[in-house]
Amino acid sequence: MTAEFHLTLPVRPAPRPALPGVVTDRRPPARGPFDVLDQVARGADLAGLAGVVAPFDPAGADALVVAGGALRATRHAVVTAAFHPAATTPVYAAKLSASLQRFSGGRLGWLPVVDLDPAVARAHGDVLTGPDRYARADEFLTVAKGVWTQEKFTFEGRFYDVLDGGLGRPLAERPFPRVFLSGTSDEALALSAAHADVHLFDPGDDVAALLPDGVRAGLRLPLGDADPARIADEVRASGASVVVAVAHDGDELRAAYRIGEHLLPLLREEDGS
Amino acid sequence: MTVDVYWRIHMEGDQTSLRRRAGTRGGFAPDVPGSLAPGVRAGEPDGFSHADYMAEVARAAERSGFVGGLLPSFPHTDDPWAAAATLARDTETYKFMIAFQPGFLHPVQAARMSASLQLATGGRTVYNVISGGGGPSQLWWGDRVDHDDRYARTSEFLDVLKGVWHGHETGGFTHDGRFYRVEGAALPDGLTGLPLPEVYFSGSSPAAIEAAGRHADRYLSWLEPFDALAEKFAAVRRLSPAPPRFAVRAEILARETDEEAWDELRRAWTGRTARTEDGGGDSGDSVGWRRGRSFLADAGDDVRGLEVQPGLWGGFHELRDGPPFGLVGSYERVAERLDELIGLGVDAFVLAGVPHLEEARRVGDHVLPLLSATPGVPA
Repeated sequence: MTAEFHLTLPVRPAPRPALPGVVTDRRPPARGPFDVLDQVARGADLAGLAGVVAPFDPAGADALVVAGGALRATRHAVVTAAFHPAATTPVYAAKLSASLQRFSGGRLGWLPVVDLDPAVARAHGDVLTGPDRYARADEFLTVAKGVWTQEKFTFEGRFYDVLDGGLGRPLAERPFPRVFLSGTSDEALALSAAHADVHLFDPGDDVAALLPDGVRAGLRLPLGDADPARIADEVRASGASVVVAVAHDGDELRAAYRIGEHLLPLLREEDGS
Repeated sequence: MTVDVYWRIHMEGDQTSLRRRAGTRGGFAPDVPGSLAPGVRAGEPDGFSHADYMAEVARAAERSGFVGGLLPSFPHTDDPWAAAATLARDTETYKFMIAFQPGFLHPVQAARMSASLQLATGGRTVYNVISGGGGPSQLWWGDRVDHDDRYARTSEFLDVLKGVWHGHETGGFTHDGRFYRVEGAALPDGLTGLPLPEVYFSGSSPAAIEAAGRHADRYLSWLEPFDALAEKFAAVRRLSPAPPRFAVRAEILARETDEEAWDELRRAWTGRTARTEDGGGDSGDSVGWRRGRSFLADAGDDVRGLEVQPGLWGGFHELRDGPPFGLVGSYERVAERLDELIGLGVDAFVLAGVPHLEEARRVGDHVLPLLSATPGVPA
């Protein structure tokens, strides 16, 4: 099976150059990363990529807002939003996501970010540290899935309580978002075993040894300027069936078309598909 | 003085008229014949979604003179943050008044989402801060905080949100409070310096009014008999440290003549179906909901029996989701009533009517042009 490619969206604001007075300036008002976000998402969609990922980036725009716009701008692409579990309650995350699923024909993914740098976490109002973060993430995903899939969902945990919850129809008519998780600690792997559809590894990780049963292997891949044939080799060697590509040269739009026009044909050819 | 007029979006799905309760637009009654967005084409789902129809309502409101729309939030409705992020590019000037309960989002997350949406829309985000209908509904949301404490939480939430919003000027916002702890929080470069969304504050209890005084740009009330509204506004004025501004949310049923409007209402009232629930978050420990119902206790079942003052009718909750009171009559009569509300100190409205698409155009074309800059003096 050909590995699916998801391209990481640029959420940081890129300043646009001022035009000299001699050039008539009819550009619409600057909107930071939103100037290019729709185009990158559409580019990935046009070029046949499986999807795009709105990363959790303290220096960038919020991934859930970015995901809403990217879903609206695309037809086929899966749009995966990264967020940390302290950002919302699990019921609210489920409710907001249920609407995004309804609006997009079920194309939303989740990438809960558990292993935050402690200073970043505190700046986002999260004082939990260590293995407790994985315990909370487990409850978060259990509650979110519970209210999504059950009509009368009641839960009493360490972090969350729900009484007679449940989104019901039609809000939860689409599947629960596909869950991406990452990390190589025991807690991270156990969380994935319980909740992940895809576990993301970094180049050099021992995928075969670490991958939890029943979970697909994903690879976070910095693209750089490498030759497409070499990238194809690296993807095949990793054993990953899902790739989350990061365009390190900051030109995500070019990367979207490069993957679609040069890399995906190579992988399909090799796989005979 | 100008008045900001918003037009509600039906987050619970739109119904085709007051005569037919099922919300057939938006996928909330998929089995009712004629349901659309999503619909069926040649036996297959047609690929449209509720967002496609909501975009039509937003565009109609935008072109009909409304500054934007209220996107309400209840357990059974689609979500306002999701809708605003989705529809940002479908509109140009339309403001998204996002209803949300502070307990469900962390204030740092709310600040990040708001700044991102302000950037994406060119500053078209507005808040409708609600502190919760309470009761079983709060536990449905997974929220255990009591009624009065929810307003304390709302206050602290808005303090933190504002602190984070300006955190880049102060070297990072640090706070150790009853509900929230943050350390060195700020928005990143590129998301700073955007206008903080205007705050429309809802809540009828003393705790709500006190919290509104600290944080509200406008105090938003459901429509009530005008004497009661005037009393409520007086109470808000007494408790507010700064002179408050007022907004009213009102259903509108306006036609060429009074007779036409009342005929339409009579047909809807006669054929109404029994309500099976109180609209989720409308109930619980909501003081506003109890106030609304108490005015109607003795009104009886005749359609004009619910007309508690000329042109002010209190049975809309039986005909569609939402609060009881609305303005009924000719375009001129409804405009006069709105002018009277402006005379009470109201300088913003959230109007609504079903179906939200066609009625946005009707009210925009026929009622808004009749509003008078000086209440009592015809335009």
